[in-house]
Amino acid sequence: MNIEISGVTRRFGRNLAVAGVDVEIGPGVFGLLGPNGAGKTTLLRMMATVITPSAGTLRLLGRDPVRYEPRREIRRRLGYLPQNLGYYPGFTVVEFVEYFALLKQVPPARVAAAVAAAVERVDLGGKARAKLRTLSGGMLRRVGIAQAIVNEPGLLLLDEPTAGLDPEQRVAFRGLLRDLGQRATVVVSTHLVEDVGAACTEVALMDAGKIVFHGTPAELTARGEGTTTAGDAPLERGYSAVLLESRS
Amino acid sequence: MTAAGISLRPGPATARRMARVAAAGRLLRLELKRNAVPYVLPLLAAAFYFDTVRTADGFPPVWTLRASVIGDHMLFEFSAFAAGLAAWAGSRERRRKTLDMAATTPRAAWARLSVTLAGTLCWLLLALLAGVAVLYIQTALQATWGGPPLWPVFVGAAGVTAVTMIGFTCGVVFPGRFTAPLVAIGVLVLYQTGLRQALGVTSSSGTYALLSPANAPPSVDAGVYYHLAPDVPITQVMFMGGIAIALLGVLGLVAALRQPASAGGLRSLRAALARSDGWLLRGVAVILVACGVAASWTAFALAGTAKPDATGGWQIPALHSAASDHPMPVTQDCTSSGFGVCVHPAFSFYLHDLAAALDPVAAEIAGLPGAPTRAEEVASVSGGQDVQSGISGNPPVFEFTAERVGSMFGQFYGIPDPVGWREGFQQGLLDAFLTGRPPHAGTVPIQLGAAQQAVEDALLTTAGTNLSATIGTMLQNGQPVAGPPAAVSAAHRFATLSAGARHAWLAAHLAALRTGKITLAQIP
Repeated sequence: MNIEISGVTRRFGRNLAVAGVDVEIGPGVFGLLGPNGAGKTTLLRMMATVITPSAGTLRLLGRDPVRYEPRREIRRRLGYLPQNLGYYPGFTVVEFVEYFALLKQVPPARVAAAVAAAVERVDLGGKARAKLRTLSGGMLRRVGIAQAIVNEPGLLLLDEPTAGLDPEQRVAFRGLLRDLGQRATVVVSTHLVEDVGAACTEVALMDAGKIVFHGTPAELTARGEGTTTAGDAPLERGYSAVLLESRS
Repeated sequence: MTAAGISLRPGPATARRMARVAAAGRLLRLELKRNAVPYVLPLLAAAFYFDTVRTADGFPPVWTLRASVIGDHMLFEFSAFAAGLAAWAGSRERRRKTLDMAATTPRAAWARLSVTLAGTLCWLLLALLAGVAVLYIQTALQATWGGPPLWPVFVGAAGVTAVTMIGFTCGVVFPGRFTAPLVAIGVLVLYQTGLRQALGVTSSSGTYALLSPANAPPSVDAGVYYHLAPDVPITQVMFMGGIAIALLGVLGLVAALRQPASAGGLRSLRAALARSDGWLLRGVAVILVACGVAASWTAFALAGTAKPDATGGWQIPALHSAASDHPMPVTQDCTSSGFGVCVHPAFSFYLHDLAAALDPVAAEIAGLPGAPTRAEEVASVSGGQDVQSGISGNPPVFEFTAERVGSMFGQFYGIPDPVGWREGFQQGLLDAFLTGRPPHAGTVPIQLGAAQQAVEDALLTTAGTNLSATIGTMLQNGQPVAGPPAAVSAAHRFATLSAGARHAWLAAHLAALRTGKITLAQIP
């Protein structure tokens, strides 16, 4: 298993954001679903080694991220796209991705090729020399994805990656996700259930800091069958049914 | 081992090291390319021109004097810009919300911040060196002796580095869009009003203020007759360099402690500190802080021991070299015709103007007892005291100092007054002649009696100086005041005599005039 989470809790002052999560995630695309404020982003930030758990243990790529040297090893093989993508407006697309490639310690001799490949994979080759300040929100999101995959990560964490993408780009992105999932563990946090249905092999649903469902998209769909819960698509009805059940 | 057996390929450790250097170089290239400093350079250049360059223009082309504007003016302008721009760069990750992405990379936050800092510092130091080059090229084109002093450049570079570190650390610790302007204003206020006072306020001797690079311009001939002792610049560099090193260490500690501290309060912080990993980074940071504080504290202590030296500067006994106190051997530049005038080669640019000013006055008194046969410039400070002009030796020589040379310049602060400048030297010669005073130490200039003043005014008039506005004026407590009508009348009477009659009267009554026994009524 590339991600082993056991009894992980995270508090911000009195607020309990993640409340004793246990989950194991292997290779493939893993969808993390849940309503706003469910704790998805906090859990993802812990997996990204940005913050440490208040309690519980976490092992990433077989290593303990609490310790300094293993944490560095994890980070060399980690790609992370945060929910609120920050960027330097004066940098070009290539410079921004190159900057993160160098921070991720991609060997200097391979940086140029890795950057070009990442930019091409998100279909931004035509905008490679454009300054970030001139790009649309969707393009910036793709730049964020490019910086996340530039080091060919073994563990890729994407927080709301399709926010701001148009339908055509979302379809292309799902294809990219499936491709990345062949070689790495990809965790996608989203509240758009159609993304999960199209690209994920496994899914977890979070509510109030806890995982209330863990299974395949088909199993989630099955939970909604024969119910009268809200939702236009079968997966949405499964999602609503699980949430309703967990809150009752 | 044969030559063929020697592998030309670098070993794994060497290759890793080379890769690290190459990666750091590429990161630095990106930082240099996208740094904010170049956007502000036109503004900095304007401030540099209107303050530093024009102030330097007002000084005579003497290297030490011109170089003094680096600490006194240039650093003042650069400090505000450097601190503000560095704070802007330091707060970038938080302002631009890239901290989460950057924090998930294996490169240590300290290394990441150091590259950003290096990009900003490189631009600022390049700008400083470009400014120094402008000043020094301009001086080189005008100066007649000496070469560019390097210590002011080191002090300037240390000052820029220190304020850059202060600004950057503020930006990292207090990230926000208002941090940069607030830090820039804070440094400006500190530099303008508070630094010297802050450094001097706790002292008994007041010499701690020497740590501030902003000092009054040195005397016009500083570094000309004597070597300029590097004692004070060394302590300034040590003090500011110490601040910079300590803050670099603080950056390492801030970056290392921020993550556990923000992660879960005190318990998480204690847990993070208890772990063995990361101690190397923190250890290096602590050592840097300790070294920086020690360097600054040592410089502070050394500044407290400073005392005035024999050449008008300051010496710090622990750093002082006695060689600085010996006069520099030099052959003076002299005029070859008329009244011989000799000046230090550093001032040869005004030799002929000076000779033209002194020649007619010297001709008026030529042949009289004690009249100088030539004039020679001497150091304005001797034995730690100011030197006042006078006549000494046999044959008599008028010894004067170069302090008036500054009046030839100063276009920025006021239109130079060539008549006043010329008159100043002429009066200096006649003051010495009419009182018979040898060169002497002290700050009080020669004061003339009423009769001596009347004779001097008359001689200046006949030498061609237009004294219609000033004739009959006397110096009282160093300030020119209108003399009594009798003095004006006596000066006019004496000026209208023939040259022979004036000369004859002076030959007969000079001794009495010098001792103050001649009254205004006795002047023919």
